[in-house]
Amino acid sequence: MPTIVFYLLTLAVFGAIYGTLAMGLNIQWGYTGILDFMYIAFVALGGYVTSLLMLPPSQPALGETYVLGLNWPFIPAIIVGGLAAALLALIVGLLALNRLRSDYFAIVTVAASLVLYTIAGNDTPLVNGWDGISGIPQPFQGAFNLDANGYGFFFFGLCLVILLIVYIFSERLYRSPFGRALRSVREDEMVAQGLGKNVFSLRLKAFVIGAFIAGIGGSLLVIYVDAFNPSAWTTGETFFLWAALLLGGSANNRGAMLGALIVPVLFAEITRFLPTFGSPQVVDAFRYIAIGVLLILTVRFRPQGIIAEKRFRVRKSKLQKLQPALAGASPGVHITDADLEDDAGILPARGTPAQDEEGRTL
Amino acid sequence: MSSETPMSQPSTGTTARGATVTAQPANKIILDTRNMMKSFGGLRAVDDCSFTVARGSITGLIGPNGAGKSTAANMITGFIRADSGNIMFDGKDIARMPVHTIARRGLTRTFQITRELERMTVTENLMAAPHDQLGESFWLGLLDLPAVRRQEDEFLQRALQLLQDFDLYHLRDEYAGNLSGGQRRLLELARVVMTKPKLLLLDEPFAGINPVLASRLSDYIKVLCREKGITFLIIEHNLAMVERLCHTVIVMALGRTIAEGTMAELRQNPAVVDAYLGEG
Repeated sequence: MPTIVFYLLTLAVFGAIYGTLAMGLNIQWGYTGILDFMYIAFVALGGYVTSLLMLPPSQPALGETYVLGLNWPFIPAIIVGGLAAALLALIVGLLALNRLRSDYFAIVTVAASLVLYTIAGNDTPLVNGWDGISGIPQPFQGAFNLDANGYGFFFFGLCLVILLIVYIFSERLYRSPFGRALRSVREDEMVAQGLGKNVFSLRLKAFVIGAFIAGIGGSLLVIYVDAFNPSAWTTGETFFLWAALLLGGSANNRGAMLGALIVPVLFAEITRFLPTFGSPQVVDAFRYIAIGVLLILTVRFRPQGIIAEKRFRVRKSKLQKLQPALAGASPGVHITDADLEDDAGILPARGTPAQDEEGRTL
Repeated sequence: MSSETPMSQPSTGTTARGATVTAQPANKIILDTRNMMKSFGGLRAVDDCSFTVARGSITGLIGPNGAGKSTAANMITGFIRADSGNIMFDGKDIARMPVHTIARRGLTRTFQITRELERMTVTENLMAAPHDQLGESFWLGLLDLPAVRRQEDEFLQRALQLLQDFDLYHLRDEYAGNLSGGQRRLLELARVVMTKPKLLLLDEPFAGINPVLASRLSDYIKVLCREKGITFLIIEHNLAMVERLCHTVIVMALGRTIAEGTMAELRQNPAVVDAYLGEG
């Protein structure tokens, strides 16, 4: 396979994976307005759990120590990986989502992310510490008799299928009354409460659902890069995903995918071709600065993102279906100034028996 | 409006009109607050607030700034927890219940400064309102079952009907954040009506809206009370409007309820004149 094709395929796989990840964050932030700065920890936890389930038992003699190592097949492993991330979200959410206002909750998430990062790095027997895990078995390897090139395309297809499933899931969720309730929480917590919505329960559900998607995407990511250690999921990585979502368009799944293609994929790749100058960290630092500038410019000049949230419109067909009933109930009456001082108002005329001043039915 | 209209009814006047309201419950008191108390730090915002609201009435709550009206409203709707006292709503003490539970029992409110779901359309603002939406369960919503769709159609029908009643129909696909101040007031009222409440607490519904719209809004309130049997508790400074609308008026001053009666009666009450109304 020519190098350029291989390179583009790599970008495409990353695009699909980051697209999945951005949609999970979108459910938390775009739909529900939860400030989650530990999103990358859900990604990492999902990735770790899935990998550890698929890996063979650890061989400390070779200098690698990790828990589990159960030789599981891919499908049950990735589901458990997603569930592990969801469970972490449930715990963090139960502890903090109810008690804290969203900005304070954000601080808790940053702290939680750092705690997990430190544990993963320092508690070597757990996930092999700072050295990280590697040699994760490839899903379905050997099942279709593919060579290395063919397998690359196969894996891309796998990521694409998962991207599509997550997209359809997220879209349905957005349009459902459940999604509408989530958005009412995003818009105004007090109004939502006044309308009888259990705000805590809704936010918790959105947080857990988003984390599950993070775990799924994280599993694909770790399997694909095949070597994963804590430096791959610093808190800074969370902001790459945030930048992707905000630039692409919050609360719009296509926007989230577009942003994922632009920020973590294209942007990270372009900076790869910058000439190296000064210390090797300079380019890396420059990348973060550029992301920050991009975020500021987005929020200042196009706060809704490249693809704005889609506005719900009552469909013509629905209107036509409902119109006869509407028209029947209120034959084109409007309040006019003449009615204003009339106690009868306009409402009693509609669909109810006429009444006299004392409210007796005539 | 002629002088024979509801505001001239006695305080329990709605029972006379109540003939049109479906199935008048035996219990005539819908809200009964007993010795509500609330301090913020050293400041006792509500000292000893006790009053009742008759079912099916439009009751006013007036008083000078700082009398504790808004704090009382926040306690009744659950946004602030009372330090002590009981709040009986429809026969149950709601003083320790969270806001959403109280709302689901049929007591909800509008806000002094209108609050919208801004980046949702006018229709969505109403569609989000009803309780007991099947589709608000994660799985049922995701599966989009026929029962969910039927319910959605029913809500849409009701929403569009209300928008037509409230003259907002042409704005149905507009973002709520783009509405004018007066339209926001109407939308807020329409939205809480969607929840089919038993008691609505309106916090200064006439603040900052023009006289024509105020007049229209008061008509809506009267009609909603009569047609849908909704009881209203209205905090308001516009006394002309209170006089026009309310059957009974409760007066608060310095965190206490000091009087209750029709506006005509209150004008004769020296304590009320002294604390709020002032000399002629």
